[in-house]
This record gives sequence, C-alpha cells and structure tokens, in this order.
Amino acid sequence: MFFNFIKRNSRKTRKENGVYFASLIISIIAFYVILSLGEQDVMIYLKTVESDAVARLLLLIPMLYAVSLIFVFFLVFFANKYQLQLRNHEFGLYLMMGIKRSKLFAMVMGETLWNGLIALIIGIPVSLFLTELISLATSRLIGMGIIGHQFRISWVGLGLTVIGFILVQLVAMFILSFKMSRKEPVDLINDQKEETQRVLSPVWSIVSLLTGAVFLLGAIFLCIAYGLAILYLRSLDYKIFALILIVGIAGTFMLFRGLGSLIGAWIKHKSSSSTGLFVFTGRQLQENVLNQWGSLAISSLLILMAMVSFTYGISTALNNSDASSKTADFTFRGSEKEIVSVLKSDKLEPYVKEFYAMKLGHFRPADTEDSENEASGTFSWSGLLESVSSEVNSQEKESLLSNLSVQDRPYLISLSSYNKLLNSIDQSPIILGNDEIALYSDEEWSHSHDLLRRVLQSNPIVSLGDKQYKLTSKLYTSNVVADRAITLSYALIVPDDIYDNFTVSSQDSYLWNLVLNFDFVQEKGLMQAMYEVDELLNTSGLEYESYLSSMGRQLFYTVAGSYTTFYLGIMFLIIANTVLGLKFLMQQKSTRHRYSTVAMLGASVESLCSSARIQIWLYFGLVISVALISSIFGIWSLLETFPNSININHGTSTIVISLIVFVVFEFCYIWMIQRKSDEEIKKIKEIG
Amino acid sequence: MRISEKLLQVKELHKTYGKGQSETSALKGITFDVLPGEFLGIMGASGSGKTTLLNCIATMLKPTSGQILLDGQNISSFRGSQLAKYRGSKIGYLFQNFELLDNLTARENIVLPLSIHGENPKKQVAQLQKLAKQLDIEDVLNKFPSQMSGGQKQRVAAARALISNPSIVLADEPTGALDTKNAKVLMEKLSSINHTDGATILMVTHDANAASFCSRILFIQDGVIFHELRKKVPGESQNSFYERILTVLAQLGGGSSNVL
Repeated sequence: MFFNFIKRNSRKTRKENGVYFASLIISIIAFYVILSLGEQDVMIYLKTVESDAVARLLLLIPMLYAVSLIFVFFLVFFANKYQLQLRNHEFGLYLMMGIKRSKLFAMVMGETLWNGLIALIIGIPVSLFLTELISLATSRLIGMGIIGHQFRISWVGLGLTVIGFILVQLVAMFILSFKMSRKEPVDLINDQKEETQRVLSPVWSIVSLLTGAVFLLGAIFLCIAYGLAILYLRSLDYKIFALILIVGIAGTFMLFRGLGSLIGAWIKHKSSSSTGLFVFTGRQLQENVLNQWGSLAISSLLILMAMVSFTYGISTALNNSDASSKTADFTFRGSEKEIVSVLKSDKLEPYVKEFYAMKLGHFRPADTEDSENEASGTFSWSGLLESVSSEVNSQEKESLLSNLSVQDRPYLISLSSYNKLLNSIDQSPIILGNDEIALYSDEEWSHSHDLLRRVLQSNPIVSLGDKQYKLTSKLYTSNVVADRAITLSYALIVPDDIYDNFTVSSQDSYLWNLVLNFDFVQEKGLMQAMYEVDELLNTSGLEYESYLSSMGRQLFYTVAGSYTTFYLGIMFLIIANTVLGLKFLMQQKSTRHRYSTVAMLGASVESLCSSARIQIWLYFGLVISVALISSIFGIWSLLETFPNSININHGTSTIVISLIVFVVFEFCYIWMIQRKSDEEIKKIKEIG
Repeated sequence: MRISEKLLQVKELHKTYGKGQSETSALKGITFDVLPGEFLGIMGASGSGKTTLLNCIATMLKPTSGQILLDGQNISSFRGSQLAKYRGSKIGYLFQNFELLDNLTARENIVLPLSIHGENPKKQVAQLQKLAKQLDIEDVLNKFPSQMSGGQKQRVAAARALISNPSIVLADEPTGALDTKNAKVLMEKLSSINHTDGATILMVTHDANAASFCSRILFIQDGVIFHELRKKVPGESQNSFYERILTVLAQLGGGSSNVL
C-alpha cells in the first residue's frame, strides 16, 4: 500500500516536473560519459603511448566528477525545495490525518529514490549508447578507422554514476525534509498563501531609485571588466585575472539586481497606451527578475562559462583535425643496411607498401673554413625577406620576419626523396627548373602560410653559397617524416646535387619513411594496424617513431582539452537552463490564480499562452544576451591569450559553430519550457 | 413588460454534478429575470446552489440544461473566443478575495479588462478618474495591492469590474473578506453607483447587512427559488428591509430543514 502510494506520488512529480526529470537524466549521462573516459578507444590507445599523461588526466576526472556532483546537488536541492514548498499543504494534511513524521519522511525519501531509480533506468542505456557513439566518432575523426572498435562498459564508471547520483539526491532531500519535519502542521497548511503576498516591498520607490543606480553601476563594472580583459588578459597576470573576475561577477550581479526596476519604469511608461496583455506580461517578467536576480546572474555567468568552454573545446578539436594529415606511418633513424634488412624481412614484408630514404640536413657547406671562398659558405633569405617586408604590417608578418632572420642555416631537403613522399600520397612531383628551388614549411606553422603563398607568387630570390635561386610559386607543406616531434619551420627543397654539395659535412643520418599496406590499414583500422606493426618492430631493436605515437602526444592534449571543456560546458549549460526553466515554471505555478483572474477578465487561453511564451523568451533572453555579450569579450581574450592553441583562421568558424550549437540547444530548451507552460495554463482554465 | 427590457433572463436552469449514482443536482430549474438598473441579491445557506448559479451566469460553469440570456443572447452556449469577448466587457466581476493581480498597480489592475479587449486605456482616462473619485481610491492608483487595505483592494476591484461599462456586475460575497466598517463603505459606494449610473448588479451574499442595500432579494434553497423579497420603494427604510431579510433567513435556516 505504502509503496503504491510512493509510486503514485513520484509519477505525479515526474509528470509535473518533466524538465527537472529530464535534467536528472542528462546529468546521469554526463556523469557516465566523463567517468568512462578511461575506457574509450582513444584513451585505451593513448594509455599505450602516453601512459603518464593519461594517468594524470584520469586523476583529474574524479575532480571534475566531484565538481559536477556539487553542481547537481544544488540543482536537486533548489528544484526540490520549490517542489516541496508547493506540497507543504499536502504534507500538513497528512500530518493532521495522523501520519507519523517518520513515515512522512520515509515517504519523501522513498519518492526520491524511486524517481532516481527510474532516471537511472532511462539514463544508463542512453549513456552507454552515447559513449559508444562518442568513442566511434572520435575514432573516426582522428582517422583510426572503426574496425578495431570494441563495445565496452566501464563498470567502475557505472557504479560511481549510480552511487553519486543517488547519494546527491538523498543528501539534498534529507536536508530539505529535515527542515520540513520541524515545522508545525499549521505552518505547513498555511504556507502557500504567504508566497503570493510578499511580492513587492512598500518602499518601492526608494528601492527602484536605488536599483536603477545599481543597474548603471553594474553596467559600468561589466564594461570595465570587458576592457581589462581585452587589454591585459593576454599577459596572464593572475592579479589582473582575479580583478577581472571579481569586477565582472560583481557587475553581472548588480546588473540583474537593477534590471527589475528598469523593467518596471519601462512598463509604467508604456502602460497607459498599451493594449492586450502587455502590462501583465511585463509585470510578471519584472517580478521574476526582481525576486530571482541572484539566480539569473548565476545562470548568466554559467552560460558565459559554457560558451567559453565550448569555444575552447571546439577549437582544440578543429586544430587536431587540421594537424592530422599523414604522409608516412613510421620513420626510422639509423643505418640503411639495418633498416632495409628488417623491413624486407618475411615477418614485415606483407605489411609494407613502400619505404624510402628521406634526406634532410642542415645547410652546412664543406669548405666553411676556407676564408677565400667565404661567399660560397653563406646563406641568405634576402629576396624573400624583402618581399615579406613590403607586405602590409600584421602580426603574422612580424613573426615570419623574426623567424626567418634567425634561420641562417636552414634545413635542406633533397628533391628526389621529397618527390617519393609526394608520390606515396598520390600527389604530383615537384619539377624544378634551372636555378629554382622550392620552399617547405611545416603544417604547424600554418599561421604564416597565407602570407608566404602570397609572397611566393613573385618568385623571390634566396642565395645559397655564391649562387642565387628563384623560389617556386608553390609552398610545400606535406610533413617530411612521421615523427611529429621533428618540425621544420622553413626549409628548402633542393635538387639532389645541390643537396649533396651543401650538406656534405652534415652529421645527420638519413631518416627512412615507411608507408603501410593500404589494404591492411583499411581492413584493420589505422590504430590496430599500426599497433600490430608496432609490436613487430618493437623487437627489432631499430630506432623509430610512428605517426600515431607522435600524434598521440598531440591527440592527448586535444582529446583531454576538448573532452573536459565540452563536458564542463554541457554541465554549465544544463544547470543554468534547468535553474532558469524551473524558476520560471515554479513562479508560474505559484501565481496560477493570476492567470485564472486574467482569464475571467476576458483573456483567451491563446493570449494567456502567448503572454507566457513572451515571458519565457524575455526571461531567457535577458540572461542569454548578457552572457553572449560577456562571451564575446571572453572568447576574444581567450583567442588573445592562447593564440597557439586556437588558430586565428579557425577563430571565426569556431565561434560560428559554438554559436550554432548553443542557439540550437537554447531554442530546444525554450521550446520545451514553453510547451510545459502552455500545458500548465490549459490546466488552470479548463472551462472556456 | 417587453422582453427587450429584461437585461438578464435565466430560464429553467439545471445543473447536475457527477454521473450515475453519485449524481447530485445543484440547481433544479431556476427561472428569474433581472431588469436594467436593478440591484439584485441572491441569498441562501451553504450548499443551496447560489454560487453554482452565479458561476453559471459568470460563464465559469456550463449549465446542464436551461438558458441564460444576456441582452437577448444565450451566453451559456458561448465557446472560446466568443466567451472571452463577453467576459470582462459585458460582464464585470467582483470576487470575495478581490483577485487583484498583486504585481500590478491599482491603475494597471483597473484598466486590465480594457487592454485585454484591445481598447486603448488612454481613451478611458475620464472614466477611470470618475470611478476612482466615486470609489474613493484616487490616492492608491499608483500603489500595489500589498500597499493597500482590504477595503481599498475591494474598491479597486469594483472599479475594475465597472471600467468597461458592463451590462451587469456579478459580485460573489464581495464583503466576505472585509470588516464591518469597510463592508459598509463598499456597499454604500456600490449602491450609489447603482442609483446614479444605473449599473445593474447581481450579488451573492449571506450577509443580511449587505443584502439590505439591494432592491430585490431571491432566496435559494436546495437548488430552487424559495422566496423573493422586494424593497418597498419609496418609503421602506434600510432597517426595516433588514428586519424582513432576517425573518426570511430564520425561516430558511429553521423552517423546513428543522422539520426534517
């Protein structure tokens, strides 16, 4: 009997607070996704190559989990506080009918547990599915192929999700029902009325004057914070950073504190000439803002944090896909004889498509000691430097000039080996004319590439020894080796005879590039294929780097960076929106008698619904617009502070993508709250 | 008497709640008319059906059978937007617990029915001023309900009921939440507006004092009209009318039910 009662009550709670229930499910999914990170394909691979860094990241995860538990705790606490308040009358009646306090307490806890269980039953399959999807998507995105994928369940993650989720709910409810159990039945029964009467304080005019000033002050504070962020944040001075945070947060709070009276003044100004439900809509909104300015400010700040997190996450993810172009699978260093003998062995042969020497070495002429022939031993970017200097001033130009000027002994790459590389990735070879050489620059330095390509159109001249050479108009960027730790900022691709001439005394041994059999990679997926070959090579005693292990390092930072920031972004966004949505719906519920009065005065159900819809748009809109304006400056200073991790070229697309993701999310959420509010209004007025 | 002179006609009104065995009849065929400019009271014990009757006329409840004609139109058959157009413009309401929107100022509350029906409140400034003066609420127009006394609140609600010049004002126990002094002030104001402007008022009450301001009173018991009292004009003092009301009430409470 008692259990049926609990089941019935909790069904009612779920129905009436669908939004809250949905947020609970989403938080379960978020918990599991972050906790099962260690079991994801990418992470399992990364563990094999970068075990230290991964271990450090996995140590960070419990902290992230704890932080999100705290956030979810507040969500559960506040949502249930209002829900219980609305049910106070009901609880008072139960007490008067002779239910013992302990039983009432058991009932509330039972309902919480039951709802939590149902949320888990829905949430866990969804989160299992979603983690699989994420695992597949990341494997795809970073080119590991999907064939090596395995379905995995992180039992530890699952256990922690269930325990954390249930625990947070029980603790929150325990505190709430403990408070409630100390109230007298009469207070419980009469509790509802008070809420509606203490709406506006009698010192209205003074308050409104004061808050108007506060609004102005808040706006000024925010502007100062924005200005400081743009001017000083790039220096990453923690004092300035703290100042910006304090001023910005205080400004946001004050802004929302004063916003209510601003809306009031505006309504007063408009009310004498407005028709329809304008005044009603405006006053409802004003009341919301006046009573909940704290929550609004917190939500706005959370949304700002979510925006910045998303931008950072998306830009790191994008940057990775940029750097993932692959030319060779393995690069060996050592003597030709050894390398060839291993690669031609029966064991390895089936995996190998081809291998070739990659000749590269410092510009180091044989006779530098010869003072008479000094000119032949020098190198100069002269023509290129001139052409670059004549370009319009920009940050890229500055850094390119300074980079080039320190490179008085650039790397040389032999034409034949670079052509082999181009051939292996199905690109047409370079054909150099008389006195022509080509410029190479690694993908890592892509920020200067646009500028270089422009300059190369005029075929600037560089001098090598005593001769001058024209640069071809094409810039080559395909990575010379698999090892991503070796990056050549700017190098020259020269015909083999010149290469031999100027690198005679070079101490660099040859590097050998290996390309794996394409069919084999297709069949196994890149990650598995490399892993297998890696095992074989491990025993050969050769010195080598694989594309994946060097990519691994980069990949790790990308995955870690984008995963954690995305996770935090989603948590912030969900919590901010749920708080907003719940607060709105709760206010609507506690003022439902107003809606029925307005209906009695002749407003149709449609006009009431549209009034509530407008209220929701404005309510969310206020918070979001403040967050968006702040996030423009937030992202701006993010771009300024981390120019290396966020490619300038990607800046706009990053912002556009994060904006689209954000807008779609918000639209869905607002639409959901509006539907809920329509339902609520139709319930109020069943006649008509 | 010509039909067009009757403002409100209630014909054979029945209302039953529930179905089958649990069926209960609240109204069992009530018929009466209200003339323009009348101040009609409806009295009866709890459960007599008087609130059901008022709710039917107020379009808050659909009668099971019978007709309610306001200005010759059957309002009980109205639906949706037709109904919305009627509420607040043709019918004004006065509730026991005021039902003012506590986040709107008095002025905004009063003009709400006008703006809901798409009228520009600016055009009705004169009407607002006149009502505010008649009801003595000029000082509170810019205040919020939480800053007013109960009497002021109910007079603001009365102004809201009257602002759109409705054909009839329906009042449900308007003095129920007021002390005697404020109740008296309210009834005097309503009665004077009834006299000077000819506003038609239909009031449900069980306060004999309030009822003594009416020009006619219908007594309802168990869903039927049990008795009717009419103030003798001219000549009858409010006091003697009050005495007569008390006599009928004594019969209502004591008479038939005590016999059973």
